[in-house]
Amino acid sequence: MKFTGQHTLHAPVDRVWEALLDPAVLVRTIPGCERLEAVGENAYAMTVTAGVAAIKGTYSGSCTLTDLVPHESLVMRLDGAGAPGTIGATVPVTFSSSGDGTTVSYDADAVVGGMLGGVGQRMLASVSKRMAGEFFGGIDDVLAGVTPAGATFTDPSAPGMPAVYTDARPGRVGGANDFWVGLAVGAGLVALGVLVGRRR
Amino acid sequence: MTTKLFGTPVRRVEDQRLVTGQGRYADDVLVGQRVLHAAVLRSPHAHARILDIDVSGVLDVEGVHLVWTHDDLEGAMAEPLPLLIPHPALLHGRTQHALAKDEVNHVGEAIAFVVAEDRYVAEDAVARIRVDYALLEPVVGIAASREARTLVHDDVPGNVGARLEQENGDARAAIAAAPHTLSLDLTVERSACQPLEGRGTVARWDPDLGRMTVWTSTQTATGVRGCIAARLGLDLGQVDVITPDVGGGFGVKINHPWPEELLVPMAARILGTPVKFTEDRREHFISSAHERAQEHHVEVGFDDDGRVLGLDVQFWHDHGAYTPYGLIVPIITSTQLLGPYKPQSYRVVFESIYTNTVMVTPYRGAGRPQGCFVMERTMDAIAAALGKDRTEVRAANFIQPDEFPFDQGLVFQDGRELEYDSGDYPAMLEKIKALVGWDEFPAFREEMAREGRQVGLGLACYVEGTGVGPYEGAHVHVETSGKVKVSTGLTTQGQGHQTVFAQIVADALGVPFDRVEVTTGDTRRMPYAVGTFASRAAVMSGSAVHLAALRAREKALRIAADALEADEHDLEIVDGVVRVKGTESQIDLGTVAVLSNPLRYAFDEASKAATQFSVGDPGRPPVAEDDEPGLEGKDFYSPERSTFASGMHAVVVETDPVTAEITILKYAVVHDCGHLINPLIVEGQIHGGVAQGVGGALYERMVYDDAGQLLNASFMDFLMPYVTEVPAGIDIDHLETPSPLNPLGIKGAGEAGVIPSAAVFAAAIEDAEGFPITAMPISPSELFHLRQSHATEESP
Repeated sequence: MKFTGQHTLHAPVDRVWEALLDPAVLVRTIPGCERLEAVGENAYAMTVTAGVAAIKGTYSGSCTLTDLVPHESLVMRLDGAGAPGTIGATVPVTFSSSGDGTTVSYDADAVVGGMLGGVGQRMLASVSKRMAGEFFGGIDDVLAGVTPAGATFTDPSAPGMPAVYTDARPGRVGGANDFWVGLAVGAGLVALGVLVGRRR
Repeated sequence: MTTKLFGTPVRRVEDQRLVTGQGRYADDVLVGQRVLHAAVLRSPHAHARILDIDVSGVLDVEGVHLVWTHDDLEGAMAEPLPLLIPHPALLHGRTQHALAKDEVNHVGEAIAFVVAEDRYVAEDAVARIRVDYALLEPVVGIAASREARTLVHDDVPGNVGARLEQENGDARAAIAAAPHTLSLDLTVERSACQPLEGRGTVARWDPDLGRMTVWTSTQTATGVRGCIAARLGLDLGQVDVITPDVGGGFGVKINHPWPEELLVPMAARILGTPVKFTEDRREHFISSAHERAQEHHVEVGFDDDGRVLGLDVQFWHDHGAYTPYGLIVPIITSTQLLGPYKPQSYRVVFESIYTNTVMVTPYRGAGRPQGCFVMERTMDAIAAALGKDRTEVRAANFIQPDEFPFDQGLVFQDGRELEYDSGDYPAMLEKIKALVGWDEFPAFREEMAREGRQVGLGLACYVEGTGVGPYEGAHVHVETSGKVKVSTGLTTQGQGHQTVFAQIVADALGVPFDRVEVTTGDTRRMPYAVGTFASRAAVMSGSAVHLAALRAREKALRIAADALEADEHDLEIVDGVVRVKGTESQIDLGTVAVLSNPLRYAFDEASKAATQFSVGDPGRPPVAEDDEPGLEGKDFYSPERSTFASGMHAVVVETDPVTAEITILKYAVVHDCGHLINPLIVEGQIHGGVAQGVGGALYERMVYDDAGQLLNASFMDFLMPYVTEVPAGIDIDHLETPSPLNPLGIKGAGEAGVIPSAAVFAAAIEDAEGFPITAMPISPSELFHLRQSHATEESP
């Protein structure tokens, strides 16, 4: 199934990138994201708790980025599986300046399987749209200095430890009404942020 | 034969119990006792290789007793499930494993099996199993399967499981030479039975007796029993299968064994505790069976009167991921398509093809709704092409009453000739025309048009081969109390067998109806049986019950004649009493039962009469050489071939000119199932069939996306008709052309109501709208879009 949408953030492209570069911020702004871990170049493992109505659960997933054109576009490949179902999504994301802001557009082609696909399918589009809105709203708040970043960061330089970001604020885990697909866009941006952050 | 009850509308004895919540279904078995519960991990992917299954997260969960994957299965349990009905043309038959081995081929395929203290723990445990998949391209839909860019099974070329051709005459030559020809492409989508009770199995192993008892919601207790014995390495005599009340079957429960029907007893035996599996609704959608999806191409040649000179049909049957039920559904379409007609030549070719979707097994009607849709759409197209009345074209093609038995020159689903035994199609056509008001319809249409309303009239005719063999049996036992215990092996899913079989026995034996008690689908009572499918219960078990009751009667008369010192021919049995006609001399049937069993030891007042100093001729052995003790009769009925019921449905629909909503104004049915055992039950079957047919024609479909995900796998999204969508009144008329093939002259009636639905609604909507309807089911939205595309075509 297809999900498309776009959001305008109230900051120029370079500031949007700046915010997106900080995975500790992003792990807080992605609805339901509990954990983000760099597992290789352009590859990340994540844990997300999300659900549609009664179909809730924790998903383990991976995110891989390809076709990177810094500050312009990328293609994100997402795979996740949890008790309520599975998701596989390919999400081309583009960025463009619009006045003082930046417009981020996404066009996801997702395969939603398991119970989620059969039972929650008809609610997916609207739920994912709302989640994308929550995510970009969160980023916008960070850009405006409204929400201070509060995630913890495990030092990747510690021997044998991957870079792991978790959201330390109380009450975040298992947040209701979150949904994985909406996350796709956010997760892509998280991953992008991590990636670009490392390159700098 | 006394025919006091046969043919009368006896009220169903089952209903008081069922409608007051006293029904006892598989899930109600062993309630209150210690039972463990099973849950199944099912594939979320339509097509994938299984790289690894990690169950380590489950083993230590409190309350979990057992976790199995295919690696844990051994011997016969590790083999693919049986291909129940092999056919020489099914070159590439494939069946699933009880638990997937290396590959999954549809969303919902069973991968792992967990048994725990309760279903909650079992499901939580299932959620902890981690499976690594390598995703494969899924094949979804007939077009993708035929294109065969990807194969469902690597070793099945072109995704084609079977190709079967039958021909009577030279259809292609006849079409080439015909004065008129037409080509049609006709499609029917996927649907499913959706019984309100899904699958369910409970098993208890008794280590002291070395016996396995299994309660399962099935249409074939003996079939399941045979499979359990074979796969679990038990002797047949160690396995009892009992069919409790079944909350609907409609075909899906004739397939067997389901993985759970083997895994549950296996687990019960290993754990030493009873185990239960109750399927939930989503599981039923994605892991039982579907039917109906077929695409057809028709070439037809006909003369000026609309007589079919040559009919050439090609079709593609989407059988899903596996073929446990062989080619039964497409064979039925290919043969029953002919309906009441006799085209001068006929050729049919089908390919039964694989897709990564839920497998296909018969659903009420079993390929006939598609065949009827194809033939009736063709008849309507011929009428339209010639500008003739649709009934006239049909009448020109009917087999005539004096032509029976009529051999269609094909081989039917039972491997026997497609030979119709009886029927009267012209008389039936007159009845349906009168019932629906065919001749008055043009005036009605005009009247409606004046009100700005748009109506259409449709007609569809069908013939249904019922009472398929090989056999059924029955046992009738008259107890010393005078009660009559009847058992037959086929199962009951709400058809009213307890009522109709009791009617037959009461008549044959001469006992009061309420003294007869019928048991079905219990292998302890009747271990030889086939199953409930193909509208065969009344014909097969009804005939067997009748024959068995006559045997009991014969014995009763023999014993009574001796006791009453009368000639057998002077005796009659009325209300459970054997009496010498025209005299006061009589004896209760219960007493006859006492006398039938010579005793040494009395156990009550009545039995004293049978002890050695009270009864018997000292000069003869107490049980004669060719006799046996007890007042019982047992017999089997095995017909030469199927008997062919028939019917015609007509419907008047109204289509909303703005919203394209389709409303049923009138629904009429004429039905011929030979002699009616119980008109109330036959009409109930018709009502149920019509309701299910309305669902199939206007609402129900399986919405798969390209990835093979079933998007409407719930009753929120799969639209079943409510009582508000079913016509409030169904006008029914009967024709009775008795079958010469069985002693009661009956034919099956169970599936009839659903067979012509797609055809009759398509015809009525087409009649209302004025453009062809070639694909069913049809929704208001689809009709709306069809209107738009036809409006575009017509405008210059």
